Amino acid sequence: MTTISWITARGLFGRRRFLLLFPLPMLLVLLAAMSRAAGVDPGQWGSPIIYGLGLGVVLPVIALIVGTAVLGSEIDDGTLVHVLTKPLPRWQIVLPKLGVATLVTALTAAIPLYVAGVLANSIRFGLGLAAATAVGALVYSALFLALSLVTRRPVLLGLVYVLIWEGLLGNVVSGTTVLSIQHYVMTVADTIAPTTLLEGRVSLPVAIVMSGVFTIGFTVLAIDRLRSFSVAGETS
Amino acid sequence: MTTLDAQPAARPTGVIHDIGYQRYSGPRLGRRHIVGALFLHGLRAAFGLGRTAKAKIFPWLVVGVVGVVAVVLTAVRAQTGEVVLRYAEFPEVLTILIIFFCAIVAPELASRDLHSGVMPLYFARPLHRADYALARLASLVCATFLLLAGPITVMFVGAAFTVGEVGLVWDEFGSYLGALAYVVVHAVVFGAVALLISSLIRRRAIAAGAIVGAFMLTTPVVVVLTLMPNATANQLAGLASPVSLVSGLGDWVFESTGEAGIGGYGPLYAIVAVALVTGCVLLLLARYRKVASK
Repeated sequence: MTTISWITARGLFGRRRFLLLFPLPMLLVLLAAMSRAAGVDPGQWGSPIIYGLGLGVVLPVIALIVGTAVLGSEIDDGTLVHVLTKPLPRWQIVLPKLGVATLVTALTAAIPLYVAGVLANSIRFGLGLAAATAVGALVYSALFLALSLVTRRPVLLGLVYVLIWEGLLGNVVSGTTVLSIQHYVMTVADTIAPTTLLEGRVSLPVAIVMSGVFTIGFTVLAIDRLRSFSVAGETS
Repeated sequence: MTTLDAQPAARPTGVIHDIGYQRYSGPRLGRRHIVGALFLHGLRAAFGLGRTAKAKIFPWLVVGVVGVVAVVLTAVRAQTGEVVLRYAEFPEVLTILIIFFCAIVAPELASRDLHSGVMPLYFARPLHRADYALARLASLVCATFLLLAGPITVMFVGAAFTVGEVGLVWDEFGSYLGALAYVVVHAVVFGAVALLISSLIRRRAIAAGAIVGAFMLTTPVVVVLTLMPNATANQLAGLASPVSLVSGLGDWVFESTGEAGIGGYGPLYAIVAVALVTGCVLLLLARYRKVASK
């Protein structure tokens, strides 16, 4: 299992593409620091930066890039065959990859959100945001990892989920929030550090249970899909 | 015919066999026709026409959503007579869908050719490098224009039969034409930015993510700048993002309601928009001057 984690981590960090991940968190910290320095009321800038940019864009987009890359890039260049031909149970391939994806996403997204939270309110709020981000990283990674096995176009489908389901519908049709990871993250952060900046729109038990269901469900789906994975190429 | 077990010395060397293919003696079309064919092919590929069903899913998903919105708006207007959304507001409300459409189509047009390394095959024809880039850009802009112009036309036709009087229909027609011009602005700005990004990235999936990221990440910058305690910064905030740049420009030219809060900087928005498109096109041409096979 450590070998798989090691290969995955090297595959992520060894590419120039990984540099794409750094502008997002830096922008978040920069904007928060700028607003703070200009003396704007945190009640005004907290919501668009922490909620709109941090939890709405930075976390899902990083999770999308990382989560689809840990398995997707190996599927794309065909090296997954080498891993699949080893006498390993499939869960020993999926779980390390999920772990690496979660860890990388959580680190890249939680640190800037912690900084922004501290600048906006208090250390407690920052820690709450960081913890909630880590939970969100796990759920998002499980979802996008499974997507990269279910479809050949995981990034586009992931964008549909993030942009249309969470971005458009989540704000218009209130019922869709029950299936929206973004709102679980907000609820968890709001529970750990209650502030006026964030408002969880789903109840805490729903957030916890649905996060668990998402994570376990999509991980099991990924393991199952990898069990009957077909390497044949196709044109689209 | 020689057979495999014949002596090598007995085999004739360097002969081109006439195996009976049809010769072509008709007119040979030049560069202009190649560009035209490339543009048409790009436009068809944008909507997945002539491709597998899988390639049609995402573009037609967006077309479907935009179409449903237009039909609902038309129906509401026909039933209640209330104008929920004016023509010019239509592209602004559906900005996310336009971005998403560009993120689907632009990598399909640019990254796909780069990824499969077929650029030398294109340039082996009497096709200039700039021709390729501009034909692709034209396809993307045209596809985005059609995505929005179709539904707006539906809304206009619905409204024309609802209002009843000829004079009112002319008013509607005026604002319909204005909205079409606004749609062109949207298509050109978004298309130029999206195609430039996807021409730099070989993998389609990553290019799609990068396009969405580029548009979505600049929006919070605008929000922060509008919160700054400085009126000039607030009015210039829209320049930071292509989305608010276009809506600021639209506010100045097409609506003049002042809702985008750009103050007297309308001409500056226009200049920046032109500069952005020009810059993107120049960079795109520079990119395709360099790009080789892999």
